[in-house]
Amino acid sequence: MILLAKIGVGLMGTAVVGGAMLCSEGFMTIKVHEKRANGTNISLILPAAIVPATLAVIPNNHLAQASEQLQPYMPLFDAALPALEECPDGVLVEVADPHEHVLIRKDGGSVDLDVNDSDEIVHVSIPLRAALSTLHEIAANGQI
Amino acid sequence: MKTLKYALPICALLLTGTMLFALTTTRYLHVRVNNPVTHEIVRVNVPLSLAEKIIPAINKGELHDGKVHIGKFKTDDVNLPQILEALKTAPEGEFVTVQQKDNNVRVAKEHGMLVVHVVDQRSKENVDVTIPWEVAQALSSDVNDNQLNIEAGIRALENAGDVTLVSVVGKNENVRIWVDSSSSAD
Repeated sequence: MILLAKIGVGLMGTAVVGGAMLCSEGFMTIKVHEKRANGTNISLILPAAIVPATLAVIPNNHLAQASEQLQPYMPLFDAALPALEECPDGVLVEVADPHEHVLIRKDGGSVDLDVNDSDEIVHVSIPLRAALSTLHEIAANGQI
Repeated sequence: MKTLKYALPICALLLTGTMLFALTTTRYLHVRVNNPVTHEIVRVNVPLSLAEKIIPAINKGELHDGKVHIGKFKTDDVNLPQILEALKTAPEGEFVTVQQKDNNVRVAKEHGMLVVHVVDQRSKENVDVTIPWEVAQALSSDVNDNQLNIEAGIRALENAGDVTLVSVVGKNENVRIWVDSSSSAD
């Protein structure tokens, strides 16, 4: 009985630690709503930490080209993303015309992209910290 | 005397609060481009603190180490910072006026700022550029020929007041670039 309790506590502890690790980099949100009748509605909320973790298991040769293209810009991302995280929340870019509205804004530790055009509404929210570790993972994975 | 005893700490507290607020206020560089024909509007709001950190990290094309290479602008035998310093202390007024058939150019010092006004008759475009002296001096500081120190210019903009830096009013497009402490463009 005591052994079972110990196993239970161990499993629960692992689940809690695993959950905390998964949530440590925030959540990524992707929402797509097609405006036409019977259009697609997608709403995904994923722990952002799974993206760099997934990239880590992709064979290096698949990421070689992306890595090569990304590497020269890594100092820029290393400077920009932590600096952006420190900035107050607000709209960074807004493009509007009679048919389309695009908004990029910083909200907490995330960057949100909203597109509203005649066909669909798209909302993507990416935690900055996860974005940086994803970029690092891609840049490092391609190195053979 | 008793009132003074209470008023003084309150005043000191208010003053400290105001100073702290002033120190922590984020300054923004705003760009707004609008096309009155297509009704397209583009708004960009960049915190100056962000630009200050990003600019030195860009080493591509004409931009390296926070400095931009500006074509064939040679300043051999001309001490640009010294000229700017002399202009800073010069009295306000017009320095250069060029009037041609197609365009008029006016360079002046107004309200302690360098002002360039261009009217292009052909394209029906008005261009106004206003640069605070501190920013002009920072742009020309610690550079070789053909360079502008963008990083220093941005740092100087942090301390400059709210100002419209560039205004272009044309037939098809209006552009405004300005600096203030508001996170959103007007």
